[in-house]
Amino acid sequence: MEQLKAILKVRLTLDDRKPLSFGRQQRVKKDRKYGSLLNIFLSFIMGILYTLPLAIPDRIFSLAFYFTLFLFMLTFMLITDFSNVLFDARDKYTLLPRPVNDRTLVLSRLLYVFIYLLRIVFPMSIAGWVILGIMDGWKSVVLFPLPLVLMVFMALFFVNGIYLLLLRLAKPGRFKEIINYFQIIFSILFFACAYLLPRLFDARRLVNFNIHDFASMRWLPSYWLAACWSWLGFPAGLPGTVWLSSLAVLFPLICLFITVRWLSPQFADKIGEMDSIEPSEQKIAVKTTSRSGKKFYKKLADIFNRSDAAKAGFIITWLQTSRSRSFKMRVYPTFAYVPVYFFYLLTTKREPLNNVWHGLKENPSYLLLLYLCSFVLMQALTYLTMSDQYKAAWIYYASPLVTPGKVMSGGFKAIWVKYFIPFFAVLGIFIVSVWGISAIIDVVLALINVTLFSACIMRIGFRHLPFSIIEQTKQGGVRIIKVFISMIVVGGLGFGHYMAIHMFWLKLVFLLLSGGLLWLVWDSYANTSWESMIKSELE
Amino acid sequence: MEPIITIRQLSKKYGDKAVLNNINLDVYPGQIIGYIGPNGAGKSTTVKILTGIIQEYTGEVMVAGKVLKDNVLEIKKMIGYIPELAEIYDLLTPREYLTFVGKLYHLSDEVIEDRSRKMLDSFGLLGNIDQRMDSFSKGMKQKVLITSGLLHNPSIIILDEPLSGLDANAVIMVKELLQVMKQEGKTIFYCSHMMDVVEKVSDRIVLIDKGSIIANATISELKQDTNESLEQIFAKLTSDGSQSQKADEFASVFSQKNNE
Repeated sequence: MEQLKAILKVRLTLDDRKPLSFGRQQRVKKDRKYGSLLNIFLSFIMGILYTLPLAIPDRIFSLAFYFTLFLFMLTFMLITDFSNVLFDARDKYTLLPRPVNDRTLVLSRLLYVFIYLLRIVFPMSIAGWVILGIMDGWKSVVLFPLPLVLMVFMALFFVNGIYLLLLRLAKPGRFKEIINYFQIIFSILFFACAYLLPRLFDARRLVNFNIHDFASMRWLPSYWLAACWSWLGFPAGLPGTVWLSSLAVLFPLICLFITVRWLSPQFADKIGEMDSIEPSEQKIAVKTTSRSGKKFYKKLADIFNRSDAAKAGFIITWLQTSRSRSFKMRVYPTFAYVPVYFFYLLTTKREPLNNVWHGLKENPSYLLLLYLCSFVLMQALTYLTMSDQYKAAWIYYASPLVTPGKVMSGGFKAIWVKYFIPFFAVLGIFIVSVWGISAIIDVVLALINVTLFSACIMRIGFRHLPFSIIEQTKQGGVRIIKVFISMIVVGGLGFGHYMAIHMFWLKLVFLLLSGGLLWLVWDSYANTSWESMIKSELE
Repeated sequence: MEPIITIRQLSKKYGDKAVLNNINLDVYPGQIIGYIGPNGAGKSTTVKILTGIIQEYTGEVMVAGKVLKDNVLEIKKMIGYIPELAEIYDLLTPREYLTFVGKLYHLSDEVIEDRSRKMLDSFGLLGNIDQRMDSFSKGMKQKVLITSGLLHNPSIIILDEPLSGLDANAVIMVKELLQVMKQEGKTIFYCSHMMDVVEKVSDRIVLIDKGSIIANATISELKQDTNESLEQIFAKLTSDGSQSQKADEFASVFSQKNNE
């Protein structure tokens, strides 16, 4: 019993100090003490979002939507985080060598999973519970926990199934990377839900809600769960679907059985295998033949940079950004934020969606889309300077590097070429195809302006070498003010662009001005000396 | 012969805490200096000053006749630094990391490729040249780090615990390597806790404790009046010699518990 208590206590303490699994992560290096509380709070907020569909008058349908959201997000959340819960590699070193018996181990794991799930599911469900209670009275309140428990069974089944599938398909080493992509998608979904759900389930749009548009819902387990409400006398949504409520109970139980019987043990085996792979020096030469021709990134480094230092900055940025999980986690979702934000800002007028699409062409709303891209570039550039392995940056200081600004400029270019230009090009093509060829000059001007904006911010606030500083959320006051001022200045640029939207020649003048300004700022950034870099670090 | 490294009255403080007190030292070309001392004695700080990583200090450091403070970049080109603990961007492969480092030292692609292949081959790592280092053991990473420190053919090599994590064969190889480089006239500044290795490879031992040099002699001079090993001499000079008493105390914890 003492052992069980000790194990659980340590695990829950570790959870408290773990970075958040939600949305846009912000890792603080100092002790995080109330991580779990914050997670519980976020679960609660998410739970409120899910209740939006309950505005649909048909109870079974509204619940079906609610459960779909709940189940989907729960499953996704578990995928991103559950591998740590199911098997913590540290157990192997801390628990297995100690005299702890199997029963205690299994029990501690089960209890831990239970507490873990409770911490997510309970706060997430509070809002739904309360609203149902208010709308339908005590019967709904009593019935509500049943679908929750059944959903947890299903989610566990899906998660285990997906994990197993991933482990089958991918090499063990890639498993964590794929999970990383799930995390990225999850944070996008979270963000999109928070912004778009209120729009989609806007009460005024739901007036025309037609059950038969959603007839295929009957195939979803979440609809079956909702069908249980027919027991309380609510009409059965789609006609003749009351019997599906029996599936609601049967299906999760089958899921649970399969999970416990087959999936979990197999999964544990696989993870165990994964863990036992040790690095070895390969005596047999694998890919050792000297490569003929240069690698793509090296060619690009040569094309875009003149000095060796800039090439070094370009190369490390190009390679490191493709592989660093934390970088991807923080930067990739921003690509999705741009269209989500765009859609969000477009739909503020509460018009039907069709009207929004038709109205799109009539005004230069594409400027918004173009300037929103500065998000992507800025996010990538600021995280370019940060790394968990910031200590490895000693090499810059020990090497005969004359101007650190050259390495920084190489890194900037790598981000620009690798992430920004392709994304901007896709948007550019979309814009030209919708608004016509005359929009090209706007695309180019916005490209210059956004680059200018980012170069300004980097020059003012982030003169650090690539992957050389620890991630921190607290920014120096002076820097915030500087960044704020430059945002106003460049916000002015965007506004100027908007005002000049119908004046081709004026836009051409702006283009030249912005280009000149960019050249000046860039020159100053790329020639950052050791002294000014260290000075800016102290700010 | 002129010393290649001259240190005069070198002091360094972190806040109020003095880490180095008035260090004076001459190192001659082709020598292997064993720089030893207990944890926190100031070894790493000395190394960081020599490699140009720390530039705020008082006193004078000259390398190859040039004042370090005024010629940092030139001197950095001469120095190869291999830090301890394998601080390395391990998401890269050895080939990619060495390309990155080579560029910082202005080496051409061909030279980088040629040297890194040959050096990794002697370490038995050629087969791993295109594998990411995050799956490497500590010793494998250390080998890549040693390669990266020697890639630009430096004339002064500064090693900070270079053998940590290496297996027995690699240790023998590095020891041999030190001798070969010494014969080529390179100067080696070797920091370590491993007294037996230091004793074998060094021409001269410099012992630092609490920021001051307390011994600077050849191993035979140190052993002149005694038959003790370097380890024992080290213990005598840097502590009150109560190690065995402390060990007894530690062990007695169990016997007390058993008695209860």
